[in-house]
Amino acid sequence: MQLTSKTKGICILLGVLAAIGVGTWIYQLVNGLGVTGMSNVNSWGTYIIMFMLFVGLSAGGLIVASSAHVFNIESFKPLALPAVICSTVCICLAGMFILIDLGGIVRIWRILTGPNFVSPLLWDMCVITCYLVINILDLVWISKGAEEKVRKLSYVALPVAILVHSVTAWIFGLQIAREWYTAIMAPIFVASALDSGLALLIVCLVALDRAGIAEFPVKLQNMLGKLLATFVAVDAFFIGCEVLTMAYPGAGQAQALAIMATGETAPFFWFEMIGGLLIPFLLLAGQKRRNSTGLVVTASLLVVFGVFCKRCWLLLTSFVEPNMYGAPGISLGTHAAQTGGRATWALTGSYMPTLPEVVIVIGVLALGGLAFTLLSQYLIKGRTQTQGAAGEAHAAKPAEANRAAV
Amino acid sequence: MTKLAIAINLHRCTGCHTCVNACKMQNNVPMGMLWNRVITENSAVSDGVEGTYPNISRTTIPLACQHCENPACQKVCPTGATYKDDMGRVEIDYDKCIGCRMCMAACPYNVRVFNWNEPDRDPGFNYGDARVPVRSKGVVEKCTLCKERTDNGQVPMCVECCPMEARVYGDLDDPNSEISKLRAKNNVRILLEDMGTKPQVFYLE
Repeated sequence: MQLTSKTKGICILLGVLAAIGVGTWIYQLVNGLGVTGMSNVNSWGTYIIMFMLFVGLSAGGLIVASSAHVFNIESFKPLALPAVICSTVCICLAGMFILIDLGGIVRIWRILTGPNFVSPLLWDMCVITCYLVINILDLVWISKGAEEKVRKLSYVALPVAILVHSVTAWIFGLQIAREWYTAIMAPIFVASALDSGLALLIVCLVALDRAGIAEFPVKLQNMLGKLLATFVAVDAFFIGCEVLTMAYPGAGQAQALAIMATGETAPFFWFEMIGGLLIPFLLLAGQKRRNSTGLVVTASLLVVFGVFCKRCWLLLTSFVEPNMYGAPGISLGTHAAQTGGRATWALTGSYMPTLPEVVIVIGVLALGGLAFTLLSQYLIKGRTQTQGAAGEAHAAKPAEANRAAV
Repeated sequence: MTKLAIAINLHRCTGCHTCVNACKMQNNVPMGMLWNRVITENSAVSDGVEGTYPNISRTTIPLACQHCENPACQKVCPTGATYKDDMGRVEIDYDKCIGCRMCMAACPYNVRVFNWNEPDRDPGFNYGDARVPVRSKGVVEKCTLCKERTDNGQVPMCVECCPMEARVYGDLDDPNSEISKLRAKNNVRILLEDMGTKPQVFYLE
């Protein structure tokens, strides 16, 4: 299998970005999490936002792949391999973001020697590990063509995929101290995992089609677009339920709602409402519009970015107003706070990612891009080529034809 | 069983911050963070007031770990680094802390602080009680109810140093202790009682 010069160029670029990210991570390990924008009042930031986003993005792939077998949707079956590659890469990135966020990664083995089984974080680590194993098994069996094993695994994969997002939601949703404390957190996470995950899968499938690696017929694009529109509607419904419940009593959570609607996190909230839910839904609602690859990709990218914005407002809104409010406030513990004086204190929470944080995030994303590119080259293209050589010319033909077109 | 606790008489507290400094000195708390702080409730300025003139009031609340009976922080800790000990205190085993900061998200009182950087101490060396373990970068810390002192029958440093004698330290499981009698009175205030964390630190209004 040969990489084209264009693919090679992309891989080198992604590799360099990933290397810079690793370097910056080492810088963070040496200097501490003080190099980020986090503080004692806003104690989680971009890494946790990206963690939530990527756990969600991972869903789409595995759910589409397992649905193909569980519900016997024949037309989804050719998508299973790219879908599982996408899912595997995303869950690895999610895990990486959690590890990067840890202040004491050298003591991580303590989770194995003294696990606290009531901690949602422990549940999450268990369920993510299961999920990763399922993804890898799926990947191996699909590429080997072990149809029966894949079918059986799908019955396990589908509930685990839903569980992994619910458990991630419970990390937040079970905390009575914060505005996250709501029973709808898990359904919201599953819904936004479904829409953002499927949206990312569509983008990846279009990219693979353009690269001549795997064919993505317009009919299938139309079908997935329709499914995406449904998922977006479900997500919007859940968010609507939550927002109404927050707003109606006019007390308690209404303060948090005000921060979301008109305060610090308003840009994220409104982008998601309009750019991440309404516009993509309208774009995908029309039967004819779904045949346009440009429109479907635009809508999909909007959905992914909208869900990213949702992660931002969801996480950060809860850190703005401390429950015990009063001057001088909370001692921040940041690098600036160490110099003493007013810089030590904050009455309310604020957060802005720093350059090292952004560089690390870009590095992780680049690593993901690299892994996806290489895996799809080796597993999909490599596979279609061997199949072609074995005489199953029909499998290889579309890819070849597409490459000629590109 | 023992259930160590502190009662703070808000009528006696003048907001002098002596307990803040006593705690910092005793426990070698690094620059930029405090285990115990005094807030002027619902005021954007220190020593400010609540309400509008002439209907104004001022409450200064010394705020540190509430040593909850139902600690939200302890439940969420994945490694069991945060634990409830047999004296009823919420403690941290720094060797087990992986710095995930789940406990900081779970604590309703914002009393946990994290070593974001290499801990910095103004005199350039460790100070305070030599028995207090030195924490490293990347771990969470908070009030231990002066574990090293209370283990040896001494009272916590904030209680020892309060010039107004606003603080009472004792065992809530001992019905004859002063603190148990104070706890039974009807002027007890529990911070964020509706969170259900059942703090052992309580306030007298």
